Amino acid sequence: MIRYILRRLVLMIPVALLVTIGVFVLVRISPGDPALVFAGEERDPAALAAIREQMGLDKPLPVQYVVWVTKLAQGDLGRSFQTHQRVLEAITERIPATAELGLAALLFSVSVALVVGIVSAIKRNSLVDLLSTSVTLAGVSFPSFFLGIVLILLFAYVIPGRIFPPGGYIPLTQDVGDNLRRLVLPAVTLATASLAVNLRQVRSSLLDVFGHEYMRTARAKGLRERTVITRHALKNALIPVVTLIGIQIGAIIEGAFITETIFFWPGIGRLAVTAIPSQDYPVVQGVVLVSAFSYMLTTLAVDVLYAWLDPRISYETATA
Amino acid sequence: MSGTTLPVALRLGRADRATAVRSFLRRNPRMIVGGALVLAWLFIFVFARAIAPYDPIKVDVANALLPPSSAHFLGTDDLGRDVFSRVLVGSQVSLRVGLISVAIGFLFGVSLGLAAGYLGGTFDLLAMRGVDALLAFPALVLAIAITAALGPKIENAMIAIGIVAIPAYARLTRGQVLAVRAREFIVAARTIGASPLRIILWHIFPNVVNSLIVQATLSTAFAILAEAALSFLGLGPQPPDPSWGQDINYSQRYLPNLKWWMSVGPGLAIFSAVFAFNFLGDALRDALDPRLRRSG
Amino acid sequence: MRSARFVLVALATFGILLAACAGGQQPSGGGSAAPSAAKTNYGGTVTFALENDVSNLDPMLSGLFVDRNIHYAMYDSLVRVTPKGEIIPWLAEKWETSSDGKTVTFHLRQGVKYHDGTPFDADSVKWNIDRYIQTKGSLRTADLGSVDNVQVVDPATVKFNLKSAFAPLLGALVDRAGMMVSKKVVDAAGADFTLKPFKAGTGPFVLTEAVKNDHYTLEKNPDWWGKDANGNKLPYLDKLIVRPILDADVALTNVRTGNAQIVNRINGKDVAAVKADSTLSYQEVGSFSWNSLVPNEAPGFIFSEHRYVKAVAMAIDRDEILQKGPAAGIGLVGWGPISPAHFAYDASFKPWPKADPDGAKKLVAEVGKGPLKFELLVPSGDAGVLQAAQLIQSELAKADITMDLKTQLFNDIVTLQQQHKHSGMTFVGWSGRLDPDGNTYDFVVTNSPNNDSSYTNKQVDDLMKQQRAESDPAKRKTLLLQAQQIYTVDDPSRVWYGFGVSPLVTVKSLVGMESYPDRIPRFQTASLQK
Repeated sequence: MIRYILRRLVLMIPVALLVTIGVFVLVRISPGDPALVFAGEERDPAALAAIREQMGLDKPLPVQYVVWVTKLAQGDLGRSFQTHQRVLEAITERIPATAELGLAALLFSVSVALVVGIVSAIKRNSLVDLLSTSVTLAGVSFPSFFLGIVLILLFAYVIPGRIFPPGGYIPLTQDVGDNLRRLVLPAVTLATASLAVNLRQVRSSLLDVFGHEYMRTARAKGLRERTVITRHALKNALIPVVTLIGIQIGAIIEGAFITETIFFWPGIGRLAVTAIPSQDYPVVQGVVLVSAFSYMLTTLAVDVLYAWLDPRISYETATA
Repeated sequence: MSGTTLPVALRLGRADRATAVRSFLRRNPRMIVGGALVLAWLFIFVFARAIAPYDPIKVDVANALLPPSSAHFLGTDDLGRDVFSRVLVGSQVSLRVGLISVAIGFLFGVSLGLAAGYLGGTFDLLAMRGVDALLAFPALVLAIAITAALGPKIENAMIAIGIVAIPAYARLTRGQVLAVRAREFIVAARTIGASPLRIILWHIFPNVVNSLIVQATLSTAFAILAEAALSFLGLGPQPPDPSWGQDINYSQRYLPNLKWWMSVGPGLAIFSAVFAFNFLGDALRDALDPRLRRSG
Repeated sequence: MRSARFVLVALATFGILLAACAGGQQPSGGGSAAPSAAKTNYGGTVTFALENDVSNLDPMLSGLFVDRNIHYAMYDSLVRVTPKGEIIPWLAEKWETSSDGKTVTFHLRQGVKYHDGTPFDADSVKWNIDRYIQTKGSLRTADLGSVDNVQVVDPATVKFNLKSAFAPLLGALVDRAGMMVSKKVVDAAGADFTLKPFKAGTGPFVLTEAVKNDHYTLEKNPDWWGKDANGNKLPYLDKLIVRPILDADVALTNVRTGNAQIVNRINGKDVAAVKADSTLSYQEVGSFSWNSLVPNEAPGFIFSEHRYVKAVAMAIDRDEILQKGPAAGIGLVGWGPISPAHFAYDASFKPWPKADPDGAKKLVAEVGKGPLKFELLVPSGDAGVLQAAQLIQSELAKADITMDLKTQLFNDIVTLQQQHKHSGMTFVGWSGRLDPDGNTYDFVVTNSPNNDSSYTNKQVDDLMKQQRAESDPAKRKTLLLQAQQIYTVDDPSRVWYGFGVSPLVTVKSLVGMESYPDRIPRFQTASLQK
């Protein structure tokens, strides 16, 4: 098991290199000149040339890449073109906010999906089933930027009392109550997009498992329905759910880009959203790289869990 | 087990077939809702320009920001254009992007997943590293980057959204293949010397198709939404051509002024189109899954 | 009225002290709307919804408008302006310009200290200006291009020796080029100075916290030198929090729900509702900013034929764009870059009072190369900009001019434009400058940095150079207007169609604030009513 994990970690190195090249190329394809963003309305050609030199943009692209990767290997993500802030610092000071939002959304989405999914699978084709799947489907069919704005407006103008503020972030350490109040709307917005996916997966996996022989065997053995569901069905049904959670880590990071922007949540998504149009290469590259690495580590964790949940998958076949 | 299922029904005589289809639909109410909605949207998709009561791009500032009325079912926008006509014609962009990009993602993702899962070994290793690298990017950001790189055109948006959808299909397929591969009937097929392609197509694929249907319906939703996001960034169809995503983004600024119709029109369109595909997919899955039939 | 203001500006430009310093109980520190003694309240925290995150808090390296909104609270400049655009004493209490215009002597305010405790004096001014001029990558080199060197006369006096007379210099010293920072803080902070210049200024507020993308905290500087009309020390507020909120509607929602108290931009569609809202106050003043369509007139491109530019300028309906476009009537139509807030504005300059599609058709026919068709690059992501572009598209269609729209990232457009690579026109405006030179020269003089349309006209070049050296405002105005007639009508360089306004929306309880043409809120005179 440990050997397997180690091997996987080693395998991450080529993926990481692939990712760095991908990030680097994609970020630099657009015709925009970052020096112009930095200079804004000031266009003194000498100043622009000096800025390009300071940013290292006067060197050929392959050289720029090597310089970046070499520094990266030493743990240096460089400094922002715009603010000269260390990219690593810019990212680490935002991770708590993103992590809190992401976890809250994941927790909300998975727990609701499990409860509702189990109920609708057991009571298949009942009114409860139809209603719950319809409502969550309605949720996922809503574009999240639209949902976020509608929620803000609802709580600002329609629902009295201003229970949930339209955004902003207060650190958990500063005021727990205020932090949680501000967390609700963005977390719900972020969770809604993945809720229906989770719910459908729980429901269809359960239905799938219900059809298998061992379920009927278990039932035939006279086990109580509840035991059948919790012991046998649920464990097997969890396999695809685990995969999906893995995939959703990515979706949540990405959803955070939009959600954080709408709710002025100071996370890494918003950091990237503001860095992209201003072509702040070091920041964009840094954020994408960090989210890529967190994604890869989660994938590893998911695969390990996967193997644990389904003994039929050996570590040897589950090399990826 | 009660009643006959659709595929079986197709082999019956005409009268019997009609009864069977009726009974099938009666047992699957979602199929009716989803199917009807999908058909309705497909109809609009084809005939949009003929049905639209106004020219969707005709500017008429004298009639700007009119609330819904019998002349304008969904009112007019800030340039006096008929929102209803824009919604109808906008379906041509949104549905086309949705369907084509999902087809791209499905085709490449499923082939990759089947091959990787079945063949295993080095191919699996390489393919999944590639998928990992692709997945390591936030999907929307990747789609934006690809579209930006290829140039802001609707075709490029389709390709980008399609590429972004590949990993989900590939991983899902591969996971299911790994689970199915060890089962007796595959081992049996292999021992009797069936070719890998045959095993994949006839034995493994049918076993993973259900999860894929779930994924496909949902990624149609994602594709329509992603198209909206790309359009907002100016990477979709160029104005003044209508597109749901672009139109929502264009007019959402009027929501605080309670001029809701401009965004609600395209919003409902996205909503019902995504809904339609979801319902249909859901119902199809329930109806066609052999194991579910057994326990049904 | 117009001429009265003009005279005031003229006087200020000559360094003759204005009423600001004349009376015993006049305020120092800006603002005429000081609250009466009975209403003066000290204390309180105000949150300012800023339109974007700041990019750089170092005045030397700042290139974006948004930065200045914080700069003005934390730094003092040598001189500042009133809401009417008159230059007033600030860190410099008075100044004289030599008769040949080649030296400007500043007499500095005494006893001023930076927030870190180091003294502000003539050495400090010299060090700051040298830093702006000499540092590689400094963005103030153009503002200070006329300065040859700065000479310390005594601790309270500095002399700017100029390469040649340069009338717009004082206007530049109002802003970042005249902002003074503490050498000690710059040296200690190193590369972090750009984002976290804590205690670096002498201004009414002290920057104490900077969390990028989230908020900036500025606390009251209890030792600031400014006083209100009753001799009370400024500022009144204890704390100022600046929070970047990109969406104008969301920003307004924040003010309405009490999460912010002030915002300095608003969509035209919301103005009527805000004016009617009893919990909010709204004010506006004409700004220096203009809107334009920028053709690429370089050889080989469609608009190297300047008559086509003129045809577009004739065909658009400026009044319709203002009334029915995103501004919803908030702003002014215009035909050139010199705004009503400038001393050189000519209210009678209306070359095409009404849209003239038939005239445009004739002009295109006169060129004789078939119908005019071109592509307009539009910055993506801003619905208001898209609205205006589509409106203009429909207006041009009436003159049989086909304009296709292509949306692109703003920076990509600016880059293409800078490289003179775009095929048709771009849709880019200008935030405006106090001196009309900053609104004109760089856009029309051959090979100037902002001359994105590749425009070149010998006569315009000569007139624009003459006005820079001209110290008589009346003569300068004549020269500026002569040039304007050429580069807008006779041989057009681009298509100007209107001016913006500087709005200011605050909650009712926030008083003592005024709208400035540059749109930057001044907080030193603000107070919260209890």
